[in-house]
Amino acid sequence: MSLPEFRLLRPRTLEEAVGYLAKDANNIRVLAGGTDLVPSMRQKLFEPEFVLDIRHIAELNGIRPHQGNGVEIGALTTLTTIEQSQILRRRYPVLTEAAATVASPLLRNMGTIGGNICLDTRCLWYNQSLTWRKGCGFCIKKDGDLCHVAPGGTKCWAVFSGDTPPALLCLNAEVEIASAAGPRRMPLREFYTGVGDDYRKLQANELLTRVFLPESSADYRGIYRKLRIRGSIDYPLAGVAVAMKRSNGHVADARVAITAVNPAPMLVKGASELLAGKMVDEALADAVGNLAAKTAKPLTTSAITPEYRREMIRVFTKRALLAVAGN
Amino acid sequence: MTDFSIIGKPIAMVDAAGKTTGAGKYTDDLSLPGMLVGRILHSPYPHARIKRIDTSRAAKLEGVVAIATGKDAPNPYGILPVGHDEHALALDKVRYVGDNVACVAAVDEATADKALELIDVEYEVLPAYFDPEESMKAETNLIHDNKPQNLEKDYHHVFGDPDKGFAEADQVAEARFIANEVTHAAMEPHSTLAAFEIDSQTGKPGRLTVWSSTQVPYYLQHKLSLVLEMPMAQIRVIKPLVGGGFGGKSEVIPLEIIAAIAARAARAPVKITYTREEVFWAHRGRPRTIIDLKTGVKNDGHITAVKARVVQDGGAYCSYGVVTILYSGALLGALYDIPNIQYDGYRVLTNKPACGAMRGHGTVNVRFAFESQLDELAAKLGLDTAEIRQRNLLQPPCVTINGLRVQSYGLPECIEKVVERSGWKERKGKLARSRGLGIACSHYVSGAANSIIRSDMPHSTVNIKIDRDGGVVVYTGASEIGQGSDTMTAQIAAEVLGCSLGRVKIIAADTDLTPIDIGSYSSRVTFMAGNATLRAAQEVKKQIALAAARKMNCSPEDLIFRNDVVSRKDAGVARAPSPASLPENQASVSGRVEGQILRGSLQQKRKDEGPKDTMTFEEAVVAAIDFHGTLTGTGSYAPPTEARGGKHKGAGVGPSPAYSYSAQVAEVSVDEDTGEVAVHKVWAAHDCGRALNPVSVEGQIIGSVWMGMGQALTEEMVWKDGMLMNPGMLEYRSPSSVESPEVEPIIVESIDPEGPFGAKECSEGSLAATIPAISNAIYDAVGIRLRECPFTPERVLAALRAKKNAKHINLTEGVDPTSPTRFREHGGSLWFRGKGPERHPLDPARREVPAEAEGDD
Amino acid sequence: MKKELIELRVNGRTHELAVEPSKLLLDALRQDLQLTGSKRGCDDSSCGACTVQVDGVPMLSCTMLAASCEGQEITTVEGVSEHGSLAAIQKAYGDWGGAQCGFCTPGFIMTVKHLLTQNSNPTEQEIRSALSGNLCRCTGYSQMYQAIKAAIEAEQKGMAAAR
Repeated sequence: MSLPEFRLLRPRTLEEAVGYLAKDANNIRVLAGGTDLVPSMRQKLFEPEFVLDIRHIAELNGIRPHQGNGVEIGALTTLTTIEQSQILRRRYPVLTEAAATVASPLLRNMGTIGGNICLDTRCLWYNQSLTWRKGCGFCIKKDGDLCHVAPGGTKCWAVFSGDTPPALLCLNAEVEIASAAGPRRMPLREFYTGVGDDYRKLQANELLTRVFLPESSADYRGIYRKLRIRGSIDYPLAGVAVAMKRSNGHVADARVAITAVNPAPMLVKGASELLAGKMVDEALADAVGNLAAKTAKPLTTSAITPEYRREMIRVFTKRALLAVAGN
Repeated sequence: MTDFSIIGKPIAMVDAAGKTTGAGKYTDDLSLPGMLVGRILHSPYPHARIKRIDTSRAAKLEGVVAIATGKDAPNPYGILPVGHDEHALALDKVRYVGDNVACVAAVDEATADKALELIDVEYEVLPAYFDPEESMKAETNLIHDNKPQNLEKDYHHVFGDPDKGFAEADQVAEARFIANEVTHAAMEPHSTLAAFEIDSQTGKPGRLTVWSSTQVPYYLQHKLSLVLEMPMAQIRVIKPLVGGGFGGKSEVIPLEIIAAIAARAARAPVKITYTREEVFWAHRGRPRTIIDLKTGVKNDGHITAVKARVVQDGGAYCSYGVVTILYSGALLGALYDIPNIQYDGYRVLTNKPACGAMRGHGTVNVRFAFESQLDELAAKLGLDTAEIRQRNLLQPPCVTINGLRVQSYGLPECIEKVVERSGWKERKGKLARSRGLGIACSHYVSGAANSIIRSDMPHSTVNIKIDRDGGVVVYTGASEIGQGSDTMTAQIAAEVLGCSLGRVKIIAADTDLTPIDIGSYSSRVTFMAGNATLRAAQEVKKQIALAAARKMNCSPEDLIFRNDVVSRKDAGVARAPSPASLPENQASVSGRVEGQILRGSLQQKRKDEGPKDTMTFEEAVVAAIDFHGTLTGTGSYAPPTEARGGKHKGAGVGPSPAYSYSAQVAEVSVDEDTGEVAVHKVWAAHDCGRALNPVSVEGQIIGSVWMGMGQALTEEMVWKDGMLMNPGMLEYRSPSSVESPEVEPIIVESIDPEGPFGAKECSEGSLAATIPAISNAIYDAVGIRLRECPFTPERVLAALRAKKNAKHINLTEGVDPTSPTRFREHGGSLWFRGKGPERHPLDPARREVPAEAEGDD
Repeated sequence: MKKELIELRVNGRTHELAVEPSKLLLDALRQDLQLTGSKRGCDDSSCGACTVQVDGVPMLSCTMLAASCEGQEITTVEGVSEHGSLAAIQKAYGDWGGAQCGFCTPGFIMTVKHLLTQNSNPTEQEIRSALSGNLCRCTGYSQMYQAIKAAIEAEQKGMAAAR
């Protein structure tokens, strides 16, 4: 399958990049690691006039600890770099663990943290070739007005399938977004819309440039559990991240986030309150598991049934909590 | 004679270096000057009449050279003579999403892709059939007009007296098993390059050369001739390296003919390489199979009768279907001693890509059902599950009730070996919670005793030519597809001729150069092409021996050929001559160093020296050529009539000159909360007759077991209304290295009386045992019987919940690949959670009380 | 689309190529430079048959734009053989059955080469995870582990002999 035609823009600086974005905002796609965009362009899911190749913008690459003020990660930092970072592994283990489960080693060598945050939502009726999509009559997310997973519905339920965002949500991460007008910062939890076809609050003239991990969530214990059929390559079919600070065997602070079961990665509302100040036992873990399962609203966007995926959110949450609370 | 110099030694494949350096050429690596790229337009509908095709807009696009449609080659074809129901490009109807409609040949891929979008096709959409049991009820809108009830073929066999057998049984088990559809997913997508030569006499396109990723060059040549209406002699098929077949390239695939049609239309070479999605549409994989199986046993474990009703969802074309449905019945026999068999097989057409032959052709799904049920019966009887298998062994040499001749039979040793290596007796039943051991057996043919095209032609023929340089050139039509065909051929030739492997050069699978061989399928190459090679080499050897014996004053029978030396038996053990005795080192004697001249003069010199005890291989060859004029030999192989089976309708499929045997123990653990199954280790014993190259044999055993594990756990083609939901390597989950178990291959050598050096099949037979070995191990681990594969976590969890009587969560509805009978009016899917078809009363996933999903809010 | 002139450094040599901006690195290697060792096995960046090293790191050449790789050092399987002979890993793959049909093999070789530069003595578990982005349909991977261990031993012996 050939790629559609486009013109390639290759900025060397951020300033140059946002300049291009300002100029051709409505007909441009950003290429970083390429692991999401290139296969999608093959399937003619995107046929932009311009591709903005930001791979060589050095200032957006790398992990920078700020003394006493958390860690800054450039959007172009590869998932392999994050997985292997000593400081992240020590201070923000939930992130390194999530990064280590993304796709396969080869894809992690290419894929970036920015790309994983911006990952397009996925659905078996959407991530298909043009010929295939013609066969099903297209769908709401691309070229059509039907939804095949919720017939009669008008909302797109394509599922967000990134592994690192639930970890970042647990860490209260913020993202920096740049445009020709300058940078702005927002908490990651406000970045997603919860709608499958227009899934993120990133304007067409904007670029996600940096991720900030706050000092306040450093040194939390963390764990990420991912439902996949193979031990590698697969996108998550359900994912749970837990970050927890303990004191005297009790939960001082904890957050639980889930992915791959909704059009956005989500913090499980009420989980922190349920856990705060308590000792994690089977019953408590069960209760939080049920809460997480309630938050999950998977539909038939993958070949695995939604019921099973939601059930695994429950099981994985429970297990993750017990594991992270254990010694 | 068991003291071999090359046979039985682990050696690198003769073509390994080309593969590890990237220098080896596969079809898509080839290009010709002026070559165009072909791309195919596929049907978006599962069943529709083509009312009109308008290619005019596409033809005007700059860079488009030719556009071909069905009219350009209207002759039907198919791999089986009884199944000529395919057109390379659709004539009037399309029968599955992905069916081939038109082909564009253009200067590059992007142009061809663009042109496809400009072809206007008007369809009249027809009701479509996706579920075989529904399809069998069809009265109108048949998929093929000459196939009532959309039934490709049905067979009804009764051997012995099954009713009496069941009456005598102490225990009877009956259940429905389902094995979902899987595909080969060979790493190389199919590719074909076709080019016509201009004939010097007529000045018009004449001979056609086709380079293709095929397991069957000869059949391809034959079908090209049929469709293009050209004499076979005008068509040359060359098989470059092939990146895996597993049956997916064992028949003529549409692109192979389309490329030739397009090249003819474009008057230029055309290459078509499938996208991965197109590979899934070309398919020819293992059909979804519904098996209603009944088995009766005596209290001592002896099987009294087996009754099987098998329905195969064959897709839109016949392909190998008639053979598949016959194998499914015939290979109920020849593994165990079963006195009474009833078999009812139905091959059904549906509006999906055609199923065909895949590794373990026809046996795998039925074997899964049979071995699972046997396990269940053993449990009922309180018998050890390894023991019940040992109690039902055949007593070869024998002919089974359904007419299969069994000579060598290593199954008893296979069972013994896996029981011993796995610590079965000590460990079974004593493992940690949720961990278990399971055993199962399987077998397969070493080539079919009757070829697809009924004739008395040999199945394999091999020519050998040796020239004065001492180089041995073997011409074989056998197709190397990664299984080691070329290496096997070289080993056998070198062993017989007593020369080093380095002297042997293999010219293979080029219909202009090599004699006919029917191809690499049904595990026939080692047995049949191997025997042909053996015979050709023996013929050449006889000629050399005759000439050498004259020089050495002895009779030809007294000569030993070994290590590049021909020696008299009484001259002691043959060994490589010391360097000083090699003719090359005597170059200074004659003062001339050019090869041929030197050899000639040395020969003259040695002739004068009188009789010798030994001659080098080269000297012997020169003597033979001087004596006979040329040195060539031919060998061929046709299966003996005794091995060709019974007389009943369909008796032609199943018989083989020899069967391989396999027994396996799998160790698994099951996560009871998630339903995830981990396979920790598989011990796999395989009776391959004799291991000609143990590294290769072990590789084939491991590969078979591994592919069986894929079908058992992760692989499944998922369908919704005729749309394949996972036409890619991302969603069709071929296992990665992480979850692939350790496989301990155990070679068992039963030395078949007719195999080359006693060798039999080793590439397919092991696959079928893996699936039931895993399901039986899951039962041992957690006490659930799984009757639908793959055993995905949701199926396992659903079964675990049912067993515990836990609140029912409907975890599997929706992955059910069956679907409503009539194709939707619009693009949307009728299939949605809970809205599946009504299930058969014996369906493994059926529930009495459908319950609401938990927490539905 | 109009072609643009790019400079691509492959296996230690610089090539000037005119390619469309949409040209994938894999296609540039295979079609423009006739380096057909790298293979296309899928269209969804999942199989690893096209693996090459970019600045020493294994990546999927089917998922990168050729023009985007300007200024980077690309190594393909054709750049692995040492002085016209098989590298230890190539020899071992042949000897131990690591390659059957061979279509995935160049990709594996590129991944394994990288693994061995990062970790000269990996455990089987480490080998398994390192190889998990490359799919093989023939071998079940087992004989590859033996090949890799054999290659490590051969390298160590070679080094000892050189000393």
